[in-house]
Amino acid sequence: MTGMFKFALAVAMVVMAFSAYAQLNAAQMAAARAKAQPCAACHGPDGNSQNPDYPILAGQTWRYIYVQLKDFQEGRRSDPQMSPMAMGLSRDDMIALGNFFAAQKPLPIKFQADSAKVEAGRKISEAVLCPMCHLGGYVGQNEIPRVAGQWPKYVKKQLEDFKARRRTNDAGNMTSVAGTLSDADIENLSQYIGNLN
Amino acid sequence: MSSQFVRLAAAAAASTLAFGFAAVCNAQETPGAATTTARPMSASLAPVTQAMLDGAGKDSKNWLHPNGSYEQTRYYTGNQINAKNVGKLKPAFVFQTAVLESMETAPIVDNGVMFLTTSFNHVYAINAATGEEYWHYKHKLGPIVTVCCGNNNRGVAISEGKLYMGTIDAKLVALDAKTGKLLWEVQIADPDKGYSETMAPAVVDGKVLIGTNGGEYGVRGFVKAFDANDGKLLWTFYSIPDKGHEGVWAKNDATGRDMHRNIEAEKAAFAKDSSFYQTLGGGVWMTPAIDRKTKTVFFVAGNPSPDLYGAIRPGDNLYTNSMVAIDLDKGTYKWHFQYIAHDVWDLDAVSPPILTQAKDKDGKMVDVVIHGGKTGHIYVHERNTGKLIRFSEAMIPQENMWVLPTKEGARMLPGANGGVEWSPMAVNSTLRLAYAANLHQPMTYHVEEVPYPGGKLWLGGAFKTIPSEEQWGRLVAVNLDTGKVAWGVKTPQPLIGGVLATSDLVFNGEANGWFKAYDAKTGKELWKYNCGAGVNAPAVSYMVGGKQYVAVAAGGNNQIDAKRGNSVFVFALP
Repeated sequence: MTGMFKFALAVAMVVMAFSAYAQLNAAQMAAARAKAQPCAACHGPDGNSQNPDYPILAGQTWRYIYVQLKDFQEGRRSDPQMSPMAMGLSRDDMIALGNFFAAQKPLPIKFQADSAKVEAGRKISEAVLCPMCHLGGYVGQNEIPRVAGQWPKYVKKQLEDFKARRRTNDAGNMTSVAGTLSDADIENLSQYIGNLN
Repeated sequence: MSSQFVRLAAAAAASTLAFGFAAVCNAQETPGAATTTARPMSASLAPVTQAMLDGAGKDSKNWLHPNGSYEQTRYYTGNQINAKNVGKLKPAFVFQTAVLESMETAPIVDNGVMFLTTSFNHVYAINAATGEEYWHYKHKLGPIVTVCCGNNNRGVAISEGKLYMGTIDAKLVALDAKTGKLLWEVQIADPDKGYSETMAPAVVDGKVLIGTNGGEYGVRGFVKAFDANDGKLLWTFYSIPDKGHEGVWAKNDATGRDMHRNIEAEKAAFAKDSSFYQTLGGGVWMTPAIDRKTKTVFFVAGNPSPDLYGAIRPGDNLYTNSMVAIDLDKGTYKWHFQYIAHDVWDLDAVSPPILTQAKDKDGKMVDVVIHGGKTGHIYVHERNTGKLIRFSEAMIPQENMWVLPTKEGARMLPGANGGVEWSPMAVNSTLRLAYAANLHQPMTYHVEEVPYPGGKLWLGGAFKTIPSEEQWGRLVAVNLDTGKVAWGVKTPQPLIGGVLATSDLVFNGEANGWFKAYDAKTGKELWKYNCGAGVNAPAVSYMVGGKQYVAVAAGGNNQIDAKRGNSVFVFALP
């Protein structure tokens, strides 16, 4: 089962090998920082969220942020807080925001990892081939997100949402993977990923 | 500095592709001029007239179309290099590009000047006898590039003093053939929705014809015609009609085999919602053939989107997996013939159509258009009506057709790459043979219910190669008048690239670096040379100063992960 999506994912990776074209000069970066002001309330200054409910955006891939904003705007992903935030954004705004957060340095989160869960999470991550898309180090690539050092509470909720098909904007890849995970697997994976600082 | 930077970015991307994972590269957009000039253009370069383009099939000096002529036979009339002396063929020069990634280019040669392309839309003009570079153009890519199967390019089209290239960020660019300077560019479609360009366009009567990739992203396929002078859009033919795409609810494929559709369920679903034509796929991603007498454009349309999950798109999904004929001047419909209705195996129609002649069922020689399918059959159609005269014997093993994809995976042969992939075929009409480069890649087909994901890869499941089963290729000669296989040569790796034919030779490359010449009648191997990287591009031939050359790109291939290279090899007799 875990190998089932290998080819699809391998193909997807080719799409993603192109992180590189949207880069901002200094003036564009200053403008993007101003655009990112409203995000700070939840996602923290420079995208380093202090609240475990909200994801860290610092160091995220620009294309992932762009694609998620677009999905919120077009209704493929919905969230009572994020959906309205994405509504007025232009394509250039979304590209700029993606690039702004991608350029920020992610800071380590403060949480107490359970070492037994971290180890169990590591094992399950290898079994379901997470690094094949998220890469070794879980730094992400293009539309596949960086998840290293992400708040475990947020990661857990996303995995649960994928499993329950409450979140379906991933073209099916995460739905299939999450479908193979038990509640304990999800808890352990979240701890393992959060601990990767 | 800028060129080094692009090289780095390209090399980084290339290596990520080769290893199946990507690193984050901090490339910047290339500032300033995108063209560098190594030396002044040869004085011999002359504008290519419409008369030259029309006569290209008999022109032994030049190679003016990606597939040799509007008929696309890939048949070269010169025979200085022939079965008697091909054993002595030696490299004349090797031209190294700055991009180490898949090469699928068919070089164009005009009066001793060669124009070739690489992945990421670089173009080079070089001396076709010595390999000296005249200029190098690098397309400045936009922020969004969405490609399923590599950042490939299959070459330019040439007319008058201009070159035309489609880009992976879905633009059409026109370059000055003499200088490589950008004359104009137009956005063909939105790359954010999965549109991209890898095919070589066709240019005729002042129009540039180009289709689109994107059958893995839920695009709506098309062929568009642009004004060759200024890039103004002249007409669009959608390969997915807004009405009638449900077709005739065909039970069987073109060869009469049951496709196991649940037509009642499809009809019920269609009655509820038929609005999905906007995301139904049907990419047109190889160069069309053009009949100059009847002003007809012949193209093949690719798979429906999503590839494997059919329940979301009830109906025949016209004109996916079809040969389509349209009017050259107006872009209006003439006829279509669908090979696989409601495809759920990604067995799209892609290898470029060829115009030739063949015997009909009464033994009378008639004008035909032929297509080599991913199914492993060559289909021969009456050119005026599209009526299927015959289909060839299967060129590769077929098993378990048409088993439906399942969650756990169902095995069927051929795998999703074919049969004949995008590789152009060649025809030797004297010998009555069509030559096709086939592959054999056993796969299981998996389905997953996935709604339209908004420009993300949308397979609706997965294809999975079966590690325990051998993969290989087969170069096959098929008799046009009988559909029988005249000869076949098995190769150790799947074949992707395309074929060149001459009066008594056939040239074909392999993923292991071998570029080979075969006896056109018997398939006997007569010559080979190892290029050191995958030869996964179609060869061309031409003459400079009375001497014949054969050129082929050896850049490997992303799709079958053949070893990457960056070079065009050019061969001649000593």
